[in-house]
Amino acid sequence: MRLVVVSAGLSVPSSTRLLADRLATAVSDRAGGQGAVDVRVVELRDLAVEIAHNLTTGFPGPALASALDAVATADGLIVVTPVFSASYSGLFKSFFDVLDPEALTGRPVLIAATGGSARHSLVLEHALRPLFSYLRAVVVPTGVYAASEDWGAEGLAERIERAAAELAGLMRGLTAGARVAAGPAGSADRAGSPPESVQVPVSVPAPGGPVGAGGFEVIPFEQQLAALRPE
Amino acid sequence: MQFGIFSVGDVTPDPTTGRTPTEGERIKAMVAIAQKAEEVGLDVFATGEHHNPPFVPSSPTTMLGYVAARTEKLILSTSTTLITTNDPVKIAEDFAMLQHLADGRVDLMMGRGNTGPVYPWFGKDIRQGINLAVENYALLHRLWREDVVTWEGKFRTPLQSFTSTPRPLDDVPPFVWHGSIRSPEIAEQAAYYGDGFFHNNIFWPADHTKRMVELYRSRYAHYGHGTPEQAIVGLGGQVFMRRNSQDAVREFRPYFDNAPVYGHGPSLEEFTDQTPLTVGSPQEVIEKTLTFREYAGDYQRQLFLVDHAGLPLKSVLEQLDLLGEEVVPVLREEFAKGRPAGVPEAPTHAARVAAAKEVTVS
Repeated sequence: MRLVVVSAGLSVPSSTRLLADRLATAVSDRAGGQGAVDVRVVELRDLAVEIAHNLTTGFPGPALASALDAVATADGLIVVTPVFSASYSGLFKSFFDVLDPEALTGRPVLIAATGGSARHSLVLEHALRPLFSYLRAVVVPTGVYAASEDWGAEGLAERIERAAAELAGLMRGLTAGARVAAGPAGSADRAGSPPESVQVPVSVPAPGGPVGAGGFEVIPFEQQLAALRPE
Repeated sequence: MQFGIFSVGDVTPDPTTGRTPTEGERIKAMVAIAQKAEEVGLDVFATGEHHNPPFVPSSPTTMLGYVAARTEKLILSTSTTLITTNDPVKIAEDFAMLQHLADGRVDLMMGRGNTGPVYPWFGKDIRQGINLAVENYALLHRLWREDVVTWEGKFRTPLQSFTSTPRPLDDVPPFVWHGSIRSPEIAEQAAYYGDGFFHNNIFWPADHTKRMVELYRSRYAHYGHGTPEQAIVGLGGQVFMRRNSQDAVREFRPYFDNAPVYGHGPSLEEFTDQTPLTVGSPQEVIEKTLTFREYAGDYQRQLFLVDHAGLPLKSVLEQLDLLGEEVVPVLREEFAKGRPAGVPEAPTHAARVAAAKEVTVS
């Protein structure tokens, strides 16, 4: 399974990255343990110039293209931003602005943020969750916010564990779901599957659906034309 | 293989002098550039279509008609004709008229436009962009091939027993390219009709162009028009040349740094590394252009953008001299080498008339 962690922290070391790492470890532990989860961390600071260039040119440079590909093929995502001016940082938003708008459809995402005080904690609910809902991601119910004071207080570890369990459950479920869809051999994997209440989206190609070529999917032209014929 | 130039028709201040040409000067400059293209032995001149400042070419067939009267061999084309917001009936009429006046030296490239507001200006909905391209072209295709058309669609008022006049020259419609940068649906449309596909790759990395062209080629074969290698492909390119490479870079840098499209973004060096832009000697342009077929396959038409970013007319004409004298003759020779026998020539009216006669006889 592939877990991609997007961290928009700017300082080194950064508390955003610290939170990202804590979450990534917790998710890995629960999603199958060491070796079962391939974790890739995308540090947006390293991509800042390429992200800005992508906004002006319309295409990503090599390092950004690789990060966008990783995000678009991940089984699960952890996204962490510092709170800037009452919202996610501009760099964080710009990264998701240059991502293909379809890339996150149906993908499980854990949202997290860091800030100087607890007064901004609802940024998860009023900024991050709507962004990822718009991108049609499956956002896990628990978001994790860490203010400076949380690092020494009780509660953060529990929130990390709860959110990680939710993301790991969805990731396992999606992978198991894909195996079930692929054939009966996959049914054995359902032992240790997520709680029954977790919905497992399985994509079923529509009849006469898109055809693939050159790495693209297209609707056959006859269908496109037929859809326009007056009743 | 055909070589030519395509113009966006932008009015851009020259960043080295601060001077902005008037619309009149820019329009006359485009015409001078087109005539020069013929003079130096290029095959094609294509103009964009825009309906907002800072662009001048809102009326392509007017301009191309004027150029047709002042040239003898040059193929007149567009880059692109807005199939979304123009009435397909008017496109059928305008380009058939141009075809007669230019003795068949006409083809055109369909596109959807680069400005969102152009849709509402013409009473259309941008969310229907692809659907408009699909329906309007389906009608245009019939208007040029059927003398009497009865038609009903979603976007245009119905037609009852309508004849578009004049009929295409020799009853052979102008060849059509479908231009697209990132919409696979348009590659699919071009493949369905067996028309040409032009990928305007000038701002895009090679692997993206490769994937779009591969899609078009495989779907062209799927629809039974021939093998993937027989599909008709056109590509863009943009160049600035001086005999000495360093001179080209020094002279072009202020234009690059301030260009409306790529200015204030990546450096000239990063951009030339990642896209087809070549700034250097004629030899460097030759070498870069020859790499295009490595990812697009053997293709039929190569158009260069040379009159952009506020470059003065004099510099643009010098570019055309270098293209005509030093670059294109070598490219013609090199592209011909190793070109498989089955790869078709670029479409011309004469060849299409001959092919149509063959079909009628057999």
